[in-house]
Amino acid sequence: MTVRNRGALAALAAGVAALTAAALVACANQPAGTVGAEEATTLASPAPSVANAPSVPVTAGELPAGPKIIPPVRLLIPEIGVTATVNAVGINERTNEFEVPPSVDQIGWYRYGPGLETEAGSVVIAGHVDSAKQGKGAFFRLRELDQGDTLTATGSDGEARRYRVVAREEYAKTKIPLDRYFARDGKPRLTLITCGGPFDAKARKYRDNIVVTAVPA
Amino acid sequence: MQFSYFRRVAAGGAVAALAFAGVGALAAGPAYAATSKVSVVHGIPDTPVDVYVNGKKTLDNFKPGDVAGPLNLEEGDYDIALTKPGEPIGSAILKADNAAVPGGANISIAAHLDAAGQPKITPFVNDVSKVDAGKARLIVRHTAAAPAVDVRAGGTPVFEGLTNPNEAKGDVDAGEVKADVVLAGTDTVAIGPADLNLKEGTATIVYAIGSAEGKTLGVVAQTITGLHSAPGGVPSGDGGQAGTGVDTWWYVLTGAGVLLLLGGGVRMATARTGRK
Repeated sequence: MTVRNRGALAALAAGVAALTAAALVACANQPAGTVGAEEATTLASPAPSVANAPSVPVTAGELPAGPKIIPPVRLLIPEIGVTATVNAVGINERTNEFEVPPSVDQIGWYRYGPGLETEAGSVVIAGHVDSAKQGKGAFFRLRELDQGDTLTATGSDGEARRYRVVAREEYAKTKIPLDRYFARDGKPRLTLITCGGPFDAKARKYRDNIVVTAVPA
Repeated sequence: MQFSYFRRVAAGGAVAALAFAGVGALAAGPAYAATSKVSVVHGIPDTPVDVYVNGKKTLDNFKPGDVAGPLNLEEGDYDIALTKPGEPIGSAILKADNAAVPGGANISIAAHLDAAGQPKITPFVNDVSKVDAGKARLIVRHTAAAPAVDVRAGGTPVFEGLTNPNEAKGDVDAGEVKADVVLAGTDTVAIGPADLNLKEGTATIVYAIGSAEGKTLGVVAQTITGLHSAPGGVPSGDGGQAGTGVDTWWYVLTGAGVLLLLGGGVRMATARTGRK
């Protein structure tokens, strides 16, 4: 075999190796993708109201009582190794955005929406995928969840409630239909949200949100 | 007696018709929205009534302090009459003829006392625009036989100089506040204090009702839900460890791979030709 031939072979081998590596990287970095989007949409549709109920509802005009809401306090997702404390959080006054707990191993329940007792609407829990300072967050592997996986949310009443994943969706943050995930009507469901998709290293921001929808199992 | 009823009815009718015309002007909704949601609030002490809409009994023995509805009413003119329970519509104690209900609005019709203590009907258009995430809307309506009042939250006046039959409103942080009603500009408590639970994404409408003279002052509350907004976004990561998609170096690597393959192939081919 000539030197020239050997050089050519080496070039070929190096080319194959480079392309293989590139292909592997590309595969590993595929977006989480979307499953069950249709089901998630159906869950969000409000139940048809009873048309023309014969009698007019009459209520005592008392001052509204304090709501009986059961906040989730703990979330377990064995499939992706999540055991996290859930804090009741609201809105960041400055940004008008969801106040995700700053500590990345803790996650936040949207206290203005329904709690675990709800018979309608979306219970929302959001958590960090990661942080520049603290590393991986509680929801780092959220995008690995798939239809049929189960999770357990424990309420402040001590009762553990099981949920089954029906959908995992990925949306650009500019396009995500947040109204649907923060809805207070439609079927009772648990909505988990984190960040994902390509990372903009300059802006220190992910492009997308990953949304997992689960229903009572 | 009969005569006084008649006078009262006539006066009530005129006032109500005027007020409804005002509602029509305020609630210029989209033309296609033909139905309105209409609630009825009873704020006349000690006077249960039957409510007739277009001659049909719609509410039976409707009690003071109660809220009925919402009813879905087509846009149009309605005759509303209140009778003592069981009495025929001909002897109505209060009525509003040809009250114009505009399309696509949310309206509360309050039967209440005016400042001088006479029963009347006042329609209010409810502000059902969305509130910002984390907020609640508080609406206070003066529908009592009482002078001007201030509404205080936690001891601080939030609405001042409110008179019958007007409203004051504001969007506030959701949560609990201790509220009371005082005579305007004084610390003389007329109603309350009471704990107000202002739930996020709702409008709480509080009607001051009754009569100061008759010592029947109180409140009726109505809640409208579904006015919530979603947060502006869910920021939940700035580390970049979970980033998907590929970086610039991936394109460099791929480009280099392709070039190497091409280059190597060409060399192989030319080497073979060279050997021949």
